[in-house]
Amino acid sequence: MTRYLRLYASFLRFSFSRSLEFRLDFFFRVGMDALWYAVHLVFFGVLFQHTGALGGWNLDQVLVFAAALFFVDAIYMTVFSNNMWMLPILINRGDLDYYLVRPVSPLFFLSVRDFAANSFLNLVLAVSILAWALLRYPEPLPLLSVAAFGVLLLLGALLTYTMGMLFTIPIFWLHSKSGLREVGWSLGRLGARPHRIYTGWTRTLLLTLLPYAFVASYPVYVLFNGPSWQALAHTAAVVGGAFTLMVLFWRQGLRAYSSASS
Amino acid sequence: MSPRLFLQVLSLEARNRLSYRAEFWLNALVGFGVEFAVVYFLWSSMFRESGKQEIGGFDLQGMVTYYLAVILLGKLVRTQRFEGGVSTDIYEGGLNRYLVFPAGYFPFKYAQHLGGLVPAVVQFLLFALVVAFFLDVPPELRPSPTSALMALAAIAVANLLYYLLDYAIQLVAFWADNVWSLDVAKWFVASLLGGFMVPLSVFPAWLVPWLEALPFRFFFDFPARVLLGQIEPAEWARGLVVALAWCGVLALVGRGVWRRGVEQYAGVGI
Repeated sequence: MTRYLRLYASFLRFSFSRSLEFRLDFFFRVGMDALWYAVHLVFFGVLFQHTGALGGWNLDQVLVFAAALFFVDAIYMTVFSNNMWMLPILINRGDLDYYLVRPVSPLFFLSVRDFAANSFLNLVLAVSILAWALLRYPEPLPLLSVAAFGVLLLLGALLTYTMGMLFTIPIFWLHSKSGLREVGWSLGRLGARPHRIYTGWTRTLLLTLLPYAFVASYPVYVLFNGPSWQALAHTAAVVGGAFTLMVLFWRQGLRAYSSASS
Repeated sequence: MSPRLFLQVLSLEARNRLSYRAEFWLNALVGFGVEFAVVYFLWSSMFRESGKQEIGGFDLQGMVTYYLAVILLGKLVRTQRFEGGVSTDIYEGGLNRYLVFPAGYFPFKYAQHLGGLVPAVVQFLLFALVVAFFLDVPPELRPSPTSALMALAAIAVANLLYYLLDYAIQLVAFWADNVWSLDVAKWFVASLLGGFMVPLSVFPAWLVPWLEALPFRFFFDFPARVLLGQIEPAEWARGLVVALAWCGVLALVGRGVWRRGVEQYAGVGI
């Protein structure tokens, strides 16, 4: 464990020094994410010009949902996104060999090696928006609910990465440009709206097999409805199950990997 | 650039785009299904929870029809997975070969762009057939032959306008290390202010004239409303003239940026 932490510290040092070489990109990326936040806030603001509730939540609650979404996305963009982007290229070029012979888990190495230091400022911004949304919420929020909310959001970030991997790993067999990554992105859009706008089997699907509701919407639901053992166990089971499935799938993928020109 | 060469480049690019057919169709089907599902559930929830019969001039059925039009037209306006082309040429030094080609860089790239549109046209036609057969489009919003022809012109201009904006942004790669973020930012702005995320009529009334003064509405809102028969011929003609004027402005910007960029282009990539 200590060895992995030391290794991650090295990744961080290297990523920060490299990001300073591309200063203009640094500002573009900050601007892009800030714009994404603004567009979402305006979008929900416009919707609430015409309704008092969306998916059972009022504007104050939807603002917390939007902020939770920004927070999860910022973690994903900072910790995982660059690595996920490179993975298909490494697999298709046969460049995975270099990582497979290292004395560390290749999944760990390939998933977190490139820390997007240029997105780190956005993580700070996302945390600020989340803090603002929680502080402006007119009713008191129990500490236990806020703590559970925080933990569930971190699990939401892990789930975002896990789902991204599940749709990228088929590249071992498909040998296409990006595997099924675009399919994953499309499905991910279902999680960018409060899960209670969906009804029937669609909502059930989002809480089980395609668990995008757990990215941000379900944690917000737990925040406002209070944490229960059932809700926490449900989240842990879904995220844990998806992560285990991804690791098993990854191992199968490595078995199918045939090095250069694969 | 001769028309024959233009068509050859276009045809090559079209075949290139269809090389991963299973992936292409899976992405298209899931993308369309998810976008439709999100819109359907979101607006069903909006109408249900607000208790209103009409929002932004649409009832629920009309709103869903608007989004279907926008989702389908959007495939023709923003041809995907080509947006890195110009910047990649600059970063990797691949621009060198184009500089010695007996054809201009812009027409060459535009031919490639139009080639990338061929699969989008196939998708558009198939999904439009599905919509026509299986979904209940309100009679007042059903496209007529006239509105379809008018929409065709509006889509062509929207595609050119979107490409010119994209081209100008990609050329920033002469100075910046990475323009991917600018590309994505362009999409965020275009989708919100262009009517992809919400129809412009849903915005507060005081904001609508400002949104109509910007070029973004010509990407999605304008062609969709033309197709749905909500724009009169005179307004359509006026809109096309304004959109073409914006094309002229962006073409001039692109030309200026290209000239300055090429002057200091070292030809070795990054």
